[in-house]
Amino acid sequence: MTGVELAPGAWWIVVGIGTLLGLDAISWPQSMASRPIVAGTLGGMLFGDPGGGFLVGAWLEIMASRHPPYGAARYPETGPAALIAGAAFALSESGSIIALMFCVLAGWTIGWVGSHSIALLRRYNDRALGDPASFAGDPTELARRHRRSIRLDGARAALVTGALFLPVVLAVRVAETWGPGGLGAGLTPVLAVLGLAGLGGVGARLLGGRREGWPTFVIGGAVGLLLIWVFP
Amino acid sequence: MIPRRTDFTAAFLRSFAVQGSWNYRTMIGGGLGYALTPLLRRIHAGDPVALRQAIERHAGSFNAHPYLSPVAIGALARLEHEGRDAETCDRFRTALRGPLGALGDQAVWAGWRPFCALVTILAVLSGADARLAVMAFFIIYNAGHVGLRFWGFRMGWHAGLDVGGALNRSPLRALGGRLMPVNQALTGAVVVMLVARAPGFEPGAWEAGLVAVAALGAFILPSRGGVLAMGLLFAATAAWFF
Repeated sequence: MTGVELAPGAWWIVVGIGTLLGLDAISWPQSMASRPIVAGTLGGMLFGDPGGGFLVGAWLEIMASRHPPYGAARYPETGPAALIAGAAFALSESGSIIALMFCVLAGWTIGWVGSHSIALLRRYNDRALGDPASFAGDPTELARRHRRSIRLDGARAALVTGALFLPVVLAVRVAETWGPGGLGAGLTPVLAVLGLAGLGGVGARLLGGRREGWPTFVIGGAVGLLLIWVFP
Repeated sequence: MIPRRTDFTAAFLRSFAVQGSWNYRTMIGGGLGYALTPLLRRIHAGDPVALRQAIERHAGSFNAHPYLSPVAIGALARLEHEGRDAETCDRFRTALRGPLGALGDQAVWAGWRPFCALVTILAVLSGADARLAVMAFFIIYNAGHVGLRFWGFRMGWHAGLDVGGALNRSPLRALGGRLMPVNQALTGAVVVMLVARAPGFEPGAWEAGLVAVAALGAFILPSRGGVLAMGLLFAATAAWFF
């Protein structure tokens, strides 16, 4: 995990995978390779730490459960975001909870940048395909415009990945080596896990739960404790 | 003319790109027209005017869960094949939107997908290899995904106008309802294990207690809990720097 350096071709590989993951979520083929646990693991694997990448992806997965993609709702784009976050964690100096937290927050931020870029693309698609009369039922023209929209989605994902990958890796490295005072060092991990736990609670509720279902959530927590005991 | 196997295959494969031109006016209407094109070309072979009218009609406003859009593709192709009038097709398409969206959201987005993801996370946090677990997630999840699309496409074509009844008789609604409480329990387990497995973090008794309160409080008050939880994560960052 530590001391891994970026090879010159790594950026291109990350951008290539980010493009495919960005396409997967909406345009084609919704195989969920773009889910954070998959994309994060891929990002970690590229730089020798699939387990670390997975961990970042798992945190992002819990956070993303707060924003289910129902209807035309806005939600963070997970593919390129988790890919970059997983890679940044694998490239971090310490692999500590601080690096994990920064990678997760970076992933979350990239997810919303991606979401805004998707909204822009959809507005462009409004002009291209929002009025069926504009292509008068011509099947060739419809196919041409539809495929162009898919290509643009790929270009959008490539742009998001390419523009944010290196800055995020550098930012995480700088942030984790920032020397906090004693209070910051002690408080940050506690606040971070409290935030995660809260997001887990929200995610569980938004997966269709009712307030009265809290015992199910608690039972799950007890099962988690049991698993920790069985698999220390 | 009745579509051939190659037309069905082409339409089914195109259904994977049904959201490719998602927009705020017609949503996946353009994708629906695109996916229907191979079938409509055969159905309206020799009548280019009817073909253009059908494509323009079906490229209008439509939305559905992407995995259930093949139901609409199959059923609308059936209606066109049966020579139903434009008004019937339009009303049918409008009637399909709600059920196909709600059913897919419940069964897949709130049921199958989180179930597969949470089981994968639990497996890895219990010691399974991350790469193998993710590969298993991808294969198992997509077996359900592609199977659902295929079932929907066949069912849509065979049921035609009766697709609503066929959907009601399907186990999809029950699947979503049954998986939701399971997913809640799995999320509880995952949160506990993620906190315990955070690198270099060993919670004491009071920290573990705070984690439990935070998770449960957010479960009971999700809107405020979500904002507060994100605030805690950003506060953690601020604490580190200052």
